[in-house]
Amino acid sequence: MNMTLRTILVLALQIAALLGMIGIKQWTLNSGTPVVLETLPVDPRSLFSGDYVRLNYSISTLLLDQLGGDKEFKRHDSVYVVLQSGEPYATPVSVHHEMPQLAGGQVAIRGEVEYASTTRWNQQSRQLEPAKSLNVHYGIENYYVEEGTGQTLERPADNAKVTVRVAVDRFGNAGISAILLNGKERHVERLL
Amino acid sequence: MRDSKFIRRLEQELPAWAERGWVQRGAERDILAYVASQHSGSERMVIALSLMGVLLLGSGVITFFAAHWAGMSKLAKLLVLFGSMSSAYVAAAVTATRGNLPRVSQGLWLLGVILFGANIMLIAQIYNIDSHYPNGVLMWALGGLLVAYTIPAQLALAAAIALGVLWTGMEHMDFNRHVHWPFLLFWLACLPPIYRHNWLRTLHLALIGLLLWSCFTYFDFLWEYDASGRHGAQLYLMQIFFLGYLALFVTGLLLEQRDDTRKFAAMTRHYAAFAALCAFFALTFPEIQHSSRWLFAGDGRLPADAWWLGLTVLAAGALGGLVLKHQRTQHAAAIPVHLQWGRGLLATLLALILANVFMNGSVGGQIALAFNLLFFAALVWLVFHALYSSDRTLLNFSFLFFAAWLLSRYFDTFWTLLDRSMFFMAGGLALIAGGYFLEQQRRKLDQKIVQAREH
Repeated sequence: MNMTLRTILVLALQIAALLGMIGIKQWTLNSGTPVVLETLPVDPRSLFSGDYVRLNYSISTLLLDQLGGDKEFKRHDSVYVVLQSGEPYATPVSVHHEMPQLAGGQVAIRGEVEYASTTRWNQQSRQLEPAKSLNVHYGIENYYVEEGTGQTLERPADNAKVTVRVAVDRFGNAGISAILLNGKERHVERLL
Repeated sequence: MRDSKFIRRLEQELPAWAERGWVQRGAERDILAYVASQHSGSERMVIALSLMGVLLLGSGVITFFAAHWAGMSKLAKLLVLFGSMSSAYVAAAVTATRGNLPRVSQGLWLLGVILFGANIMLIAQIYNIDSHYPNGVLMWALGGLLVAYTIPAQLALAAAIALGVLWTGMEHMDFNRHVHWPFLLFWLACLPPIYRHNWLRTLHLALIGLLLWSCFTYFDFLWEYDASGRHGAQLYLMQIFFLGYLALFVTGLLLEQRDDTRKFAAMTRHYAAFAALCAFFALTFPEIQHSSRWLFAGDGRLPADAWWLGLTVLAAGALGGLVLKHQRTQHAAAIPVHLQWGRGLLATLLALILANVFMNGSVGGQIALAFNLLFFAALVWLVFHALYSSDRTLLNFSFLFFAAWLLSRYFDTFWTLLDRSMFFMAGGLALIAGGYFLEQQRRKLDQKIVQAREH
């Protein structure tokens, strides 16, 4: 094989791999079931860095005693969280090690356990109390926006509410399809 | 410096040298061809300048687009990303063929690989792809491997190996993979181009990568205790590393016997010997044999479970198989004495390691004593082998590890027995005297090797 053909082969395979990244993500967005997730303000100690928004969801922390499904998890386990669509947000129903059977109006979103804890901090009593909880990473926690516009989404004003519309495909992969401010689309994900 | 001036001078001198019988007649052309084929100082300068150029160009392109990134559409961004990567590869191909500038071309292939990595990160940013991030580094490393196989380009393989180590480092440190087996597959995939194109420098990198993977794996198990504070996993892993690197050392001996692999033999043996000696040295410590937290009083570690037992048997089997293969390649009469008693030493070591997986930490002291005796015997064997094979590096290793071993046993034995000031004074004197004696012995043996090489 001469150098021209070899160069074309390298370029074709590398560009195909890069387009594959985009294609897989786009397939999730196009074929996935849309659900709206509630966000919570990010920890004020984590500074807004660069031009991406750090999103903290109400489903990022799961209290296992209040949910169905499996109860024993450890750090870095893959989990499937069943969400029930609803107004205004989807809510978690159960957590599983494997993809579960879903009822109508439900989707299962896949994540990875960041921390598994047997205690939780009670804000009201300001004490640690026994409770099995998981911190789960879904791969939808960062969203790149134009420089300087992230802070209003990370820490919105008192009367503003940020929600995120995600598409969840049949394998549990999720992708952000839109960021909503007070129910209105603020950023919409498009192919080009 | 082998530059054109030197070659011209050699051309003028060689006929006269041949006339005087210093050089065999007819060998002048071979000498000139050999000298011309060596890397000259100016070639190294070209490589260095190309590399600096690549880094400057790469960072310039990245900062330029970073400044204008926000105002561009996604399509424009993609065109910029694919266009810059394609330009680097096309320029590399042109300089390699039409320009006949192989060194510059190597730098440009590397630039292409760097831009492929930048594209992975920027596309992940543009499309908000936030998955298991070590996979991005793996994809980048595979891109480098593709260039190394297809073109072939040595710098691309060097980049791929470095990225592979970064990938396994992330998997170990951020995701506690314990034993990250996929890295070994990746590592094995890096070997064929090294063999095919005689890329010795890249073999250095590959072997360093393997050592780093071993370190990552060990540190992953370092804080792994069971509920009662025991951590035998550290010991069983160290034994497997020892067996594995010993197997690699024997592989180095086998490589020596084939013309097409001989050039890789010494390097493989040196890295393997260093790693095996490190693991063996660790096994001489009573603490690792007992394997429990220092504040935990009790029987220490439990016998190994089926997983560790299986891995130990597998590693011992692989080592045994390689030793038998090496044995078969030698004529019985020609086998040197040290290799014959070395087999007895190896059999004793294998028996001790296999027995050790069935024991608990209560006999850690006795096991450590046995490992110390065998460690000393192995160092003596290594001196003999270094002399037999005229290998100065192995000789230096044996003296280095002997000194480290003596020092650590001095600490173990006298730290609690002697008054602190006495401990340090006696230790200092012993170090000076011992160091002088060892260095004298090392130099004598080293001289023997030099003389043997000259004859």
